[in-house]
Amino acid sequence: MPKRFVTIWFRHLKTDWLIRRQPELSRVPFVLATQDHGRKIVSAANTIAEQEGIYNGLVVADARAIFPDLIVHDDKPDLDEKLLNALANYCIRYCPIVAIDPPNGLILDATGCSHLWGGDLLYVTTIINRFKRFGYDVKAGIADTIGAAWAITHFDEREIVINSEQHYFALLFLSPAALRLDQETLELLYKLGLGQIQHFIGMPRSVLKRRFGNHLIQRLDQALGYEVEIIHPVIEPPLYHERLPCLELILTRQGIEIALERVLECICTRLKKEQKGLRQASFKCYRIDGKIQQIDIGVNAASNNSNHLFKLFELKLDSIAPEPGIELFILEASKVEEVQGMQEKLWMRNFGLHDVKFSELLDRITNKIGANTIQRYLPDEHYWPERSIRLASSLHEEIKTTWKIDKPRPIQLLSKPERIEVTAPIPDYPPMLFRYKGKLHKIKKADGPERIEREWWIEEGVHRDYYSAEDEEGNRYWIFRSGHYANDKNPEWFIHGFFA
Amino acid sequence: MDYSELYVTSNFSFLEGASHPEEYIEQAIAYGYKEIAITDRNSFAGIVRAHAAACVKGIRLIAGCRMDLLDGASLLAYATNKDGYSQLSALLTVGNLRAEKGSSNLYKEDVYAHSKGIKFIAVPPAVLTPSFEITAAFKKILKEYKDVFGDDLYLSASRRYSGDDNKYLYRLSEMSEQLQVKMIATNNVHYHIPERRQLQDILTCIREKCTIVNAGFRLNPNAERHLKTNEEMCRLFRHYPEAIKHTQEIAEACQFSLDELKYVYPDELTNNGRTPQEELSFLSWQGARQIFGDHLSQKTIATIKHELAFIEQMNYANYFLTVHDIVRFARSKNIICQGRGSAANSTVCYCLGITSVDPTKFDLLFERFISSARNEPPDIDVDFEHERREEVIQYIYQKYGRDRAAIVATVTQQHQKGAIRDVAKAMGLSIDTINSLSNIVGSLGEFPEESFEENRFQKEGFNTSDKHLRKVLELTKQYIGFPRQLGQHTGGFVITNGKLSDLCPIMNARMENRTCIEWNKDDIDALGFMKIDVLALGMLTCIRKAFDLCKEHYGLELTLANIPQDDPVVYEMICKADTIGVFQIESRAQQAMLPRLRPRTFYDLVIEVAIVRPGPIQGDMVHPYLRRRNGEEPVEYPSKELEEILSRTLGVPLFQEQVMKIAIVAAGFTPTEADELRRSMATFKVQGLVSKFERKLVDGMLKNGYTKEYAYRVFKQIEGFGSYGFPESHAASFALLVYVSSWIKCYYPDVFACSLLNSQPMGFYHPAQIVMDARKHEVVVRAIDINYSNWDNLLETSPCAFGTSPPRGGCALRLGFRQIKGLREEDMNLLMSKRKDGFKNIPELFNAGLSKVTLKKLADADAFRSIGLDRRKALWEVAAIGDQPIAIFSGQTIVEEKVSLPEMTISQHVVQDYAALSLSIKAHPVSFVREKLQQLHIVSCNELNALNNGDPVKVAGLVLVRQRPGTAKGVCFITIEDETGVANLVVFPNLFEQYRKAIVQSRLLMVEGKLQREGEVIHVIAEGCYDLSRLLRLLTSTKKVKHPLFDETDEEKIFSEGRNFK
Repeated sequence: MPKRFVTIWFRHLKTDWLIRRQPELSRVPFVLATQDHGRKIVSAANTIAEQEGIYNGLVVADARAIFPDLIVHDDKPDLDEKLLNALANYCIRYCPIVAIDPPNGLILDATGCSHLWGGDLLYVTTIINRFKRFGYDVKAGIADTIGAAWAITHFDEREIVINSEQHYFALLFLSPAALRLDQETLELLYKLGLGQIQHFIGMPRSVLKRRFGNHLIQRLDQALGYEVEIIHPVIEPPLYHERLPCLELILTRQGIEIALERVLECICTRLKKEQKGLRQASFKCYRIDGKIQQIDIGVNAASNNSNHLFKLFELKLDSIAPEPGIELFILEASKVEEVQGMQEKLWMRNFGLHDVKFSELLDRITNKIGANTIQRYLPDEHYWPERSIRLASSLHEEIKTTWKIDKPRPIQLLSKPERIEVTAPIPDYPPMLFRYKGKLHKIKKADGPERIEREWWIEEGVHRDYYSAEDEEGNRYWIFRSGHYANDKNPEWFIHGFFA
Repeated sequence: MDYSELYVTSNFSFLEGASHPEEYIEQAIAYGYKEIAITDRNSFAGIVRAHAAACVKGIRLIAGCRMDLLDGASLLAYATNKDGYSQLSALLTVGNLRAEKGSSNLYKEDVYAHSKGIKFIAVPPAVLTPSFEITAAFKKILKEYKDVFGDDLYLSASRRYSGDDNKYLYRLSEMSEQLQVKMIATNNVHYHIPERRQLQDILTCIREKCTIVNAGFRLNPNAERHLKTNEEMCRLFRHYPEAIKHTQEIAEACQFSLDELKYVYPDELTNNGRTPQEELSFLSWQGARQIFGDHLSQKTIATIKHELAFIEQMNYANYFLTVHDIVRFARSKNIICQGRGSAANSTVCYCLGITSVDPTKFDLLFERFISSARNEPPDIDVDFEHERREEVIQYIYQKYGRDRAAIVATVTQQHQKGAIRDVAKAMGLSIDTINSLSNIVGSLGEFPEESFEENRFQKEGFNTSDKHLRKVLELTKQYIGFPRQLGQHTGGFVITNGKLSDLCPIMNARMENRTCIEWNKDDIDALGFMKIDVLALGMLTCIRKAFDLCKEHYGLELTLANIPQDDPVVYEMICKADTIGVFQIESRAQQAMLPRLRPRTFYDLVIEVAIVRPGPIQGDMVHPYLRRRNGEEPVEYPSKELEEILSRTLGVPLFQEQVMKIAIVAAGFTPTEADELRRSMATFKVQGLVSKFERKLVDGMLKNGYTKEYAYRVFKQIEGFGSYGFPESHAASFALLVYVSSWIKCYYPDVFACSLLNSQPMGFYHPAQIVMDARKHEVVVRAIDINYSNWDNLLETSPCAFGTSPPRGGCALRLGFRQIKGLREEDMNLLMSKRKDGFKNIPELFNAGLSKVTLKKLADADAFRSIGLDRRKALWEVAAIGDQPIAIFSGQTIVEEKVSLPEMTISQHVVQDYAALSLSIKAHPVSFVREKLQQLHIVSCNELNALNNGDPVKVAGLVLVRQRPGTAKGVCFITIEDETGVANLVVFPNLFEQYRKAIVQSRLLMVEGKLQREGEVIHVIAEGCYDLSRLLRLLTSTKKVKHPLFDETDEEKIFSEGRNFK
């Protein structure tokens, strides 16, 4: 039995998709555009825009010269592939093997499928109508070869089915472009006046090969079925989950623990094999009454240590109510990362952040007393003290700038500076004494001022003059005056931190 | 105690300093400074303007710079006297010439070699080591400096407000005592007022290529790097009063002023022991006898004597000799040149051969060209053929040496679009936002003042109350006008007698073999240096090529000077606006003016050149002049005193000199003010200055009894002259080239077309129009052919020479390979060298070494006709050419089954001609759709001539030019072409919006409208515009399928989109 292939062409894939999401766009010309060397280039135009003479590759500024009110949306580089993948998955219902044909087509290996729909014609029209109902402007065709199906899909206004044995004839009156040739070959063919496939399909192979190379011959052979073309079907993306159906209903904590251990073991074995570890996981218990009991954990560093993970889950097991009985357990790893596969050294252990024991300890603490209790801070490139540190996003975030050590900074920085009353002499001198929380401090030694100006692009306001001051008890403080010293009004003074 | 700031970084330390030198001077005066130094990074570029500003305001500038060395701590250096200055300048030159343009490589050894007469300040590191000390490395170098410079060395101390200032100053004073180097107070100034800190941060971002958000520690923590008052500086250094005192020590020691620099003309241009004046006199009389014969008229003798006396009085002999020397060199190399400018159209210059404009055609007093009041050097620009100007430049370098001759710099200023781009980028805006901001700003003309045109911004979707956006605009406004880089002037040379580097640092230009100085034209002017402009002009190349062809084919020895003058036949042609390709008067606006002005004499051409310019147009002076010329309006003068100035132009001011004179005579400007006024318009528009002058001019004229309306018109005209000023002296020189090119076109259209094509790109027209125009003038044009063509277009003796008298061009024009898109000259030289008796088949060409790609291009251009192949057959052969028998089979011919290809129609050929050459001599594309056009009642361009004013008409053609000049308030001018000629269309703004799409997109445009006839000038006033480009697809009958995956070239796209002009 010959193979049968369906090719589908989404003529306005991206714009149709956008109209589906924003129906108000259906009646106006609009385009998607990408950045190219600082210019915006049209990467997709809807039908109305095309009628206005706007086509792919046009610079948006030029398109606006043609149609000033043109709506422009940003294109995303992998949008077409994403859409095609989704559409391919949808097509699984029509046949098992679906491949994408970038940038706007699908190829279905429909061998032995169409009879279920009542023959080729009905099969293809069903597919076309389904997509049309979704709002996609599609064309499709079916033939023994991908090449021929593609040719009629894209270049034949009427035919959608080529019966076996009719491929040669079906191609005759089509443009050479229907053979999926490269630009250079096509131009040469047109210049030579060979504007239809019939003009050269009968020429001796040697004559064609001398002038157009193997490329033309290969495409002809693929269309006529003399050469097999390979497609790469879309497969399901790998998902990390484990199912454990139970023949008998589980009702005890012990049973749940056994189930948890089993699924954890399975998933960790798989993760280890792939040098991966999980960051987040959910353990779901499907009860016979249709309700789902679920507990979640998160870890600081990707882990595939089932014992460790088990301990984390164990802390929460009490919250699972098994009544009236659990029939299915599922463990899902919703976030999986590469595990830094570090060579273990026999004589040296990893200390600090890279110590697995350390991060496991942190996991246990945070899972017990709640997230956000233990923080990690990193330096940030700001002179303004409040902004000179920031929260790290993870335990392993690389430090991007070094801690500044050339200026004295207090060991404890108040998140908000607190007002103090001072007695201070003329400009640029530190105070002689200050009162903080009712206590009077006499300053013995001081250094400064260090003048820090506002970051004007973030906020406006006066600068601060910081002093490090030591009182008679030997305690040291970081205090500042807000703004310039002025004779007419008392400047405001604040305390901002404590040195060790 | 007095303090002088000696550490000042201006914005001539590009992307570092954030204030103009002039701003520092202003601020220094406000703070009561007596002197201030400008110390830019390895540069003197900003000191002249600071000096000029300081002179006016009565404060002294100390000339200095900051030297960032590759192997030592930075030094500030100040000239104590003229020798010291020369040393410094020579030192900077050494560093500049070692490095690429814009940077400098200086080593401490260089400084040691040039340290006489200079005071130095060493700049210590800005931070202390963790143990609160100055680095040992600095201590070491300071000791070394001390050993070399002795007591001329000081140690800079600045308060940085970084918390440990007291420790820092203490350590410095400790070191100062230890090494016996005097400590001196500076404030390391980067901007004149603290508010500029924001702009300085932005400059840092631009320099570091980051945004303000991620710039981090690359910015300064505070805003202390501004000029501070005397009292504040004394307070800051209250513990070190001697540091303040030392600033006065340097200030007193450095008494050198830039005014002491004396420019000396080169003096080696005399022979036989004559003085320069004697030499000039000798050469002038010699030239006069050569030109006028041995019997000079009394008038000529008197003029020459008068001019020579004036030159002697002003001591300009050397200047004229220098220009003469350059011109003489060009002549000797057969390079055509033509002088222009204020002094160029004198009889002496005519005698010296600097200009070919016969001064007897003028009646101008020499002094009118040189203002003795301003005591400025005379101004002569010399245009050379653009292809050969480099020879002249290299001659100058060679003759005077690179240490004596250099090109003047141009300070490229930050203009609006660039400024907003840089600032917006530094402020972290997205590329899209930056683009639309720069578009708005670009379309606004002047940068918006306080209440910037909110509408424009809002229309583009900006929130004008957004603080961030306002900040961007505010900083942009400050940033506009900042110097960005030093470029090289288009050709202004400074040549000195002694070493040029004694006067000013020399640097490398970006172009190879060019050296520049750091100062621009204004700086040079301020110091009274002489400058000679060595410029390039495409038309001179074209004329030289034409002269060569005339010699080769007609035996004529033509020069600019010996072309027969005042030929009525030539003027007849000009009056008919038959001037495609002619210098200056070929544009559509000029062509429309010609039949109205009807030039009959040389001076008419001078006026023609000057009248179609923004100046007279903006001043609304064109129509009054035309009316007066045609006797429709009496010639009147606003006053008796203006009659003298305006009589030559019928009472209407047309030339720049006239307008300047009006400002002087009628509005009471001094000559210097008038010149300042013009300059303030020409260069960057200094805010406030323009409106100040406007008031002065208008008030002055009102006071002297002129009408307000007239005063405003004169002012408008000055405004228009600003960027495109056209003085009479320039117009006269250009008029000569207009006449010469017209003469060649008139008598030798074959020569003219050929040389014009060989000088492309230049002028307004595509080769297609030049060829079409040549054929209109009965020149036989022959197609490109592998066996007959050369790279350049050439003339072939035509079998049919026409016998008009005087003999007109009778050669045929053979198109050259240069017309074929994408061909390389080397390949064609190879082809020509292997051609011998001609090629007989395609494999011969391939074996000669031409690649398949090249052969394909030749086939596309249909260049194989002489071996009996049309383009399609040739392409069929070429396509198979790579597959030749090799090794033992080489030389064998492959026998192939005969394949028949479809024959091409003539219209298909024309389309392919356009694709390969952008022109076709087979037929005009529109001729193929003529029948269709007739069915639509569309007339041809030629038929327009038979219609009457006001007739409704439809006309169609290929779009050649679309133009929306700024002076025309949104009116769009379109020129279209069909097989019979061209038609000029006018589209008014409201219609433009309505038919925008058709106008912008059409290749073949049809316009429906009314005919407007004004004498011989015909326009079609559009009432509707329609895109007929689709008709062009009929030219090739092959049906193509539109498919987005294939970028098939549409037939219509093959035809040019037309040129768009602003």
